[in-house]
Formats: sequence, structure tokens, C-alpha cells
Amino acid sequence: MAQVETFYYDNAIVRKFAYATMLWAVVGMLVGLIAAFQLIWPELNLGIPYTTFGRIRPLHTNAAIFAFVGNGIYMGVYYSLQRLLKTRMFSNVLSNIHFWGWQSIIVMAAVTLPLGITSAKEYAELEWPIDIAIALVWVVFGINMFGTILKRRENHMYVAIWFYIATWITITVLHICNNIEIPVSATKSYNIFAGVQDALVQWWYAHNAVAFFLTTPYLGLMYYFLPKAANRPIYSYKLSIIHFWALIFIYIWAGPHHLLYTSLPDWAQSLGTVFSVMLIAPSWGGMLNGLLTLRGAWDRVRQDPVLKFMVVAITAYGMATFEGPMLSIKSVNAISHYTDWTIGHVHIGTLGWNGFLTFGILYWLIPRMFNTKLYSLKLANVHFWIGTLGIAFYAIPLYFAGWVQSLMWKEFTPDGFLKYGNFLETVTQIMPMYYIRALGGTIYFIGTLVMIYNLIKTIRQGEFIGDEAAEAPARLATDNVHKGEHWHRWIERRPIQMLIASAILILIGGLVEITPMVMIESNVPKIASVKPYTPLELHGRDLYIREGCLGCHSQMIRPFRSETERYGEYSKSGEFIYDRPFLWGSKRTGPDLHREGGKYPDSWHYNHMVDPQSMSPGSIMPPYPWMLRDEMNLSTLPRKIKVLTMLGTPYPQGYEDQAVADLKKQAAEIAGRLRIDGVKDSKLEKREIVALIAYLQRLGTDIKPKPATN
Amino acid sequence: MYKYILESAGSINWMAISALLTFVTIFVVSAAMAFRSTPAYLNKMSNLPLDDSILQTSETDFRHEEK
Repeated sequence: MAQVETFYYDNAIVRKFAYATMLWAVVGMLVGLIAAFQLIWPELNLGIPYTTFGRIRPLHTNAAIFAFVGNGIYMGVYYSLQRLLKTRMFSNVLSNIHFWGWQSIIVMAAVTLPLGITSAKEYAELEWPIDIAIALVWVVFGINMFGTILKRRENHMYVAIWFYIATWITITVLHICNNIEIPVSATKSYNIFAGVQDALVQWWYAHNAVAFFLTTPYLGLMYYFLPKAANRPIYSYKLSIIHFWALIFIYIWAGPHHLLYTSLPDWAQSLGTVFSVMLIAPSWGGMLNGLLTLRGAWDRVRQDPVLKFMVVAITAYGMATFEGPMLSIKSVNAISHYTDWTIGHVHIGTLGWNGFLTFGILYWLIPRMFNTKLYSLKLANVHFWIGTLGIAFYAIPLYFAGWVQSLMWKEFTPDGFLKYGNFLETVTQIMPMYYIRALGGTIYFIGTLVMIYNLIKTIRQGEFIGDEAAEAPARLATDNVHKGEHWHRWIERRPIQMLIASAILILIGGLVEITPMVMIESNVPKIASVKPYTPLELHGRDLYIREGCLGCHSQMIRPFRSETERYGEYSKSGEFIYDRPFLWGSKRTGPDLHREGGKYPDSWHYNHMVDPQSMSPGSIMPPYPWMLRDEMNLSTLPRKIKVLTMLGTPYPQGYEDQAVADLKKQAAEIAGRLRIDGVKDSKLEKREIVALIAYLQRLGTDIKPKPATN
Repeated sequence: MYKYILESAGSINWMAISALLTFVTIFVVSAAMAFRSTPAYLNKMSNLPLDDSILQTSETDFRHEEK
């Protein structure tokens, strides 16, 4: 037997990430709560742009995913990796660069998103300098993780580590592919993909951010911390092997289920549906493996809050992974898409699966690192029950709201007219559900505060063990001692080979779906009448992006009679070829805007932005007074035209020099029409609102005869 | 040539079929390797999270392949 070595686990870095996940949990949930209350009282933005729903919604999602869950992942990975491999982390310096780098990125996100600096791609909103910072910090994490694996004392890599490896390589691929963009300035860039292609790449990314950031690393944590907390091995290691390989292969294909009935080619939609349905099998395999680990220990679940949290987390994982495939079936998706059903679904995942598993791990981890007992089991049990209630109060009303609103959208009178032709009728109907949702979010948030109080008291009564002593034998050279062994044992002892195998598997799905979309022109038929945006419309479009309008308004009319009756002709893929980024959206808190152009006079839009309720009684859209006040900043316009020309938008040669003059000309025309309708502002043609109106009046008009604009 | 193959994506559904075949292959291979694993190996692997250090490990259940 090899010589036994003494070494120390680094708990200091685990503690840092644990504190960070607690801090960002509060921030992320608080911003989410504010957003939920703004849907009831729009004036809660206090009349300032930085706190308006469109800007803080991405702040909430980014904080919840990358700050709260992200730090939760690192906390669990840094703790479990060392112990599973019987070694300290590869480098204290890299651990700390990773920690402080990640927190800096979160702070940059918290500053830039309220400022309206966004690339408008859901869950990838951060602009290019921050994207580069994310890539660098992620590589530091990777070097530290693989360095640790390479200097391990344990020959075999436990299944949790496979999940960590798959997470690392897949997030690397997704982040790079979805953020290939050409900078216009330090705070603005245009994506190299446009329209439908951009949509496919984006949702391939976004779905797999759910898969490989919110799921696979947490499955790794489940496979480590559940056996730890239950003090018994995982139910079936065989099942975990199948779970891992099947899950990572299937997950990567499912992205197109976010684009059913859109302008995405049918074959891509079908692939998304088929693989989403297949996902039930490995997902439920993993869930059952987790729950069955507790066989014979259910008496302990009744008493131990850690196990309670974990059981509900795994159950929520099972619910979400059953619901996800169901929502990917086209006929179900026809009802669920654009509604609050989706919001309810994702919160079962984040509040239940990610939230509760993180809480369970924190309750288990903090007392151990501080060599003490949990301050109050009673408080932890209180947290468990109010957290569970919070999830129920959050999600159930949203399911109900989704069904009600969608069915109202689709209901016709016996004479063949839409029964609820005014979109707002369907909004006011579900307002009570929004109240209950906000209540549910508040309850869940209070539970989190109770946990933090409990953990702070635990920390204060204990003594931190920064370097935890451990002993293990040195690793033996294994090159020749395993002749004739099973090949899988060979690969799971070799991290680099495991990395390559995982990469090949996840790349198959991505390449097969995306390559034809990007390379084959017939997948996006061109429409001759579709022209590039004018400089003023382009500027208005970038303001639409800045304000996060796509958080509430879609620009994708599906080919249903209920939609074409309400909005107009269904959307064609050829209409989006100059859209960088695409702005189809994923939720209709307000109506679709793809055929908005020419529906109302310019002055209607002007007055609507001053006070939405005055034009649309009962509307929950906030006012945008700053757009009427602020002047357009045109300093980057020539560069924007230049970049778009480079990417293939057919502006005339040298048009960047002409763009500002053309913009002013069009702005003067719109200002003139507004003045005729009684708008009094001597600088009207310089205001941002004029650009926004130009963009809204252009939407969807390329393929229909141009109506009078006033 | 590659464009010709890719152009046919929409008409012959070869992508869905190849995707399904790839998945079945992966599933069968991973199931085979799971079921061909020895009980000693599975026992050792599933107990890994429970052993942070040999200070907490029984002498009988670690590094089974050296025995």
C-alpha cells in the first residue's frame, strides 16, 4: 500500500462562495420581488429608468442564475471536489481569482443592466467586455478544477465530477458561440447572426444554460451531498452512469422547443420536441436515484431539515423535468408559450430545485465548517415550511394565470370574432393571480432571511476550520496495473479523455441543429420587399433594446387564427434577416408588436409612452417620461452602420457618412406630424421618443401595403 | 457536396433518424458499461462521498483493486 499522506482541505474558499451565494440570494430575490410588485403597481419604478421593469427583469434573472446559483455551484464544487479526490485545490491563487473575478462580473452586471446596457439575449444580456471577463474567469475555474483532478490521490472520479466536467466544457462552448459579436463601442455590439439564425443559437444557448448551469452541476452536488446528508451511498451507481451519458447527450438538442410555431424551420422544431420528450427518461432516472437513496431513512427525513430541503428539491426537479417535455409538445406549447405558465415552470426549477438544494447544502455545510451544530433546528424547519408554501403560492397562481389568459386569447364568438379583442381584458382578468404570486415570492424571501439569520448565529457560535486536516494514501501509477479492465473504468480515471468525450457528445447536437441553419440559405427564404432599417429606426430599435421592451412584448406572430385575427399576418423568417439581435421575446405581458407599424398614429405612441393608462385603461405598462425628455445620442451611429454593413446589411457604400443627416430628416418628418397633433416641444426632433416611434411604425410593414401614418 | 447533403435536411428527415440512432448507441453503450461493472467497483464508487479521509474510512472498503 502507498504511503499515507497528510494534507489540508481548503475551506476558506468554500466559505467565501457560501457567503456570496447567501448575499446574492437576497439581492436576486429582492429584485425579483420588486419586479413582481411592479406588475401590480407599475408606478413602483418611481419614474426613473434604472428601476423600470424592462431593465430589472434581466437583473433579476442574471442575479438568480449566475450570482445566487452560480456561487452555490462553486461552493459545492470546491467542497466536494477536494474530498472526492482526496486533495487540496490545485491553487489558492486561482481559487481567489475565480472568486473575486466572478463577484466583479456580478457587480458589473448589476451596474450595466439597470443602465440599459444589454445585448437583449435572454440570460446572456451582458455586453461584450463582460462576456470576455466571464470567459477568462471561467477558464481560471477550469484550470483550477482540472489541476485539482490531475493531482488527485483517488484514482477514480466519482460521477459528481463527471457532471462538473460536462458542465465546464458545455458552458464554455455555449458562452462562446452565443456571444460572437462585433463591438460598436465599449457598451454596444451587434451579433454576427441575425433573425432566425440568431434565435436558434440564442435558444440553443438559453436552454442549455438551464441544462448545464442550473441542472448538471446541481446533479453533481446532489450525487455528493445527498449521500453525505443521508449518510448512505447513492441508491444505484449503475443508474448514475446511464443518467450522466444519456442526459448530457439529449439535453443539448432540446433548445428549439422554445421556438415552436415560430419562423424556425419545421425540422428544427421537430428535433427540439423529440429530444425534449426523450429527456424525461434520464431526468427521472436521476430523480429516482436521488429519492431511492433515502430508502429506509425516511424517518430521518421527518426530523432533519437538510434532508427535507433535499427531498423537496429533488421532487421539484422531477416535476420540472416532467413538465418541460410536456410543454415541448406542440399542442401544449401552443397554449403555454408567451404566458405565465412558463414563468411558473421555471420557478419550480429555480425556487424548488436550485433554491432548496442550495439551502439544504448550506444547512449541512456551515455547521461542519464551523465545527458546531446548527443554531436552531426549529428555525430551519420553519424556513422549510414557509419556503415550500412560498413556492406553491408563487407557482400555482401563475399556472392558472397562464391557462386563463391563453384560453382567453384563443376564444372566438359564435360569429367568428375574437371574444376578447382587447388584449387588456385578458390582463385585468389575471391580476388577482399576480397579487398571489407576489405574496408567494414574499413568503419565500422571508424564508431565505430566516435561513440567513440562522446561519449567521451558527457561524458566530462556532469556530471556523480554514484548513481541514485529512489523510489519504498517495496515488499509485496505474498505467500497467489495469490490463484487461473495463474501458469505462479507464475513461473515468482520465479527466482529459472524459472532457473530450463529453465535448464530442454535446457538440453533435449543436452542430447538427445549427450548421444547416447558418449555411443553407433556403432555410431562411429572402423577401424582396424587406429592407434594412433606416438610421432613425435603427436608433429606435436600440432604444427598444435598452428599455427591455422585449421582456413584455413579443415580435413573433404564430400561424394561429387567434393570433392573425388579433395581430395580423403571421411572421415570416425572411422578415428578420436584418434583425441583430432578433427580438421575438418569450412572454406577452403586453400584446405582440410585430405588426404594430401603421396601426396607430404617431401621436398615439407619444401619448402612450407619456402615460400608458391614458391610452389603454388598465394597462400595467410603466410610463417612460425620460424618452420624451432625453435627446438622442448619435455619436455611435456611423460606427453602427459600418458594423452592420460589414455583417452583410446592404446599406449603400459609405452610408455611414450620410446616416446622421438621413436620421435628422426622418426625425423632422415625425416631429412635424406630432406637432400637428398638438405635441408642444421645440426640440421634438431631437428626442429619443421620435426614434422609438419611427421603429414601432416600421415594425412588420415591409410585407404589407404602407398605410397612412397619421 | 456538403451543401447538397445539408440541403436535403428538410425533406428526408435524416437528421432526426441519425440523432435517434446516435442516442440509442450511446444509451446502449452506457447501459452496457454500467451493467458490466463489478460489484466491488460499484461499491467502492458509491461509497466515495462518504470517505473524506482515511481517518474516517474503514480499512476494508478503500482501494479495492489493490487487494
